[in-house]
Amino acid sequence: MLTRPTTEQILRGIADELRDTVAPEVTSEPVKVLLGQIDQILRGQATKAAHEIAWMHEEADAISAVTGTDVGWPESLHLDDVITWYDGVSRVLSNALDDAFAAGDTARVAELKVLLDARSANEMRIVGALDLVGRG
Amino acid sequence: MLDPSTMPALLGEFLARQQPDWRNVRVSSYEVMTGGYSRLLAKAVVEHDGGRQVLVLRGDPPADKILIHTDREQEWELLRVLGEHGIRTPRARHFDATGESLGTKALIIDFSESTSFLPHVAAGGSLEGLPERLADALASFHAIPIEALPRQLDRPTSWDAYLTTRIDEWRRTADAHVEDLPIMRFMAGWLDSHRPAPVPLTLMHGDFQSANLMLTADGHFEVLDWELASIGDPREDMGYFKAVAQIAPPDLLDDAGCEAFCARYRELTGMNELQLNPAVVAYFLILGVVGTVRRLLEGAADYARGTNRLMASVFNMNSVQFGQSVWLPTADALGPVMDQLAALARQAEGNLG
Repeated sequence: MLTRPTTEQILRGIADELRDTVAPEVTSEPVKVLLGQIDQILRGQATKAAHEIAWMHEEADAISAVTGTDVGWPESLHLDDVITWYDGVSRVLSNALDDAFAAGDTARVAELKVLLDARSANEMRIVGALDLVGRG
Repeated sequence: MLDPSTMPALLGEFLARQQPDWRNVRVSSYEVMTGGYSRLLAKAVVEHDGGRQVLVLRGDPPADKILIHTDREQEWELLRVLGEHGIRTPRARHFDATGESLGTKALIIDFSESTSFLPHVAAGGSLEGLPERLADALASFHAIPIEALPRQLDRPTSWDAYLTTRIDEWRRTADAHVEDLPIMRFMAGWLDSHRPAPVPLTLMHGDFQSANLMLTADGHFEVLDWELASIGDPREDMGYFKAVAQIAPPDLLDDAGCEAFCARYRELTGMNELQLNPAVVAYFLILGVVGTVRRLLEGAADYARGTNRLMASVFNMNSVQFGQSVWLPTADALGPVMDQLAALARQAEGNLG
């Protein structure tokens, strides 16, 4: 399998072409807005494609350690299998949060929240600089 | 509205039927407008022997392009109530309730000659006094008696029941999504354990943000786009405004602005300082966005299931993730303050008892 250029490089390249070559030729305002949205989506997906499998595993390790739960492994490293497994891992964290709030255990809530902060930080690496293109 | 090329003729025929006193109706201009994420928008210039009108059409997109489902009939009736109460918003003129005339269910409202707020800001316009004017705008429609509002709007039985339902919406949204959402479940637990003091329920705009505000020539805010209106806690509109302003500045409810805003709103409505202060506005920054977040997540879930093909549904996930990055640190900072406010409220109740 040819691996280079990477998926990340190709998606960024498509985004660059759309921004630099296609967008200047577009006169329709709704299409300009759509292209602006697609630009942000492509750049985010480039980062996601490069890191998502690793980030899901890293997060699962942390959730397993903090909750004391064996979260197992995905059936394979194909993305569908990984995200199905990750969904179950997320449920472990959700249930732990529900239990901690129900018990009024603020210290436990704080421990679990650190995991959410890490998840959010990865999400923002994907989002990058948010621009609500087309609004106002 | 689905085919703009046919609209001048269709609109002209529709208006001629709606306005029998207009003679020789002709649509001299019809332009598709941007700015509305959820509805089709167009601006039309209509001329007839008695004069000239500039109108805006707001219609439902085709079924596979619907980002969020809202009710045009409810919006139409609400706009009429707002007009009767003198609220600053473009007046509703006509309604094609079936879509038979205009190709889709559509409202026709006046075109606002006021200045859009965001371009005013982008052009370096003054923000002086605008937090207070924002309070004026909110207090104006929050004061409409609930019994005067359209019958389609749900009437919650109490503030407690309402807030419980609203907080549960975070859990229901998480449960309904195509994957587990622990951040949503955390926010539900946090909101539940840090409830603010209750206030009377009112009409809520539901999408109260800078993009839906115009500035009139005399410096007041005109409010657009009422499709997400409901009856609820009026402070949700404030929190929602602040939430969106984190993404799309300016934030009129920043530290100094929020104090001035709260003081003016309390003066207009009689709320006390435990009920409305900057910390409570920040609480509603989180709570107030749940309706929008739910709709955005529903759109993404539909895209994931292959039941819609809207790129906007994918794009909007950026806003949800950005929101999460704001809610989490806000909860950290706000928790101790909300605990203090709750203690003061208990103390005040004790003194009364």
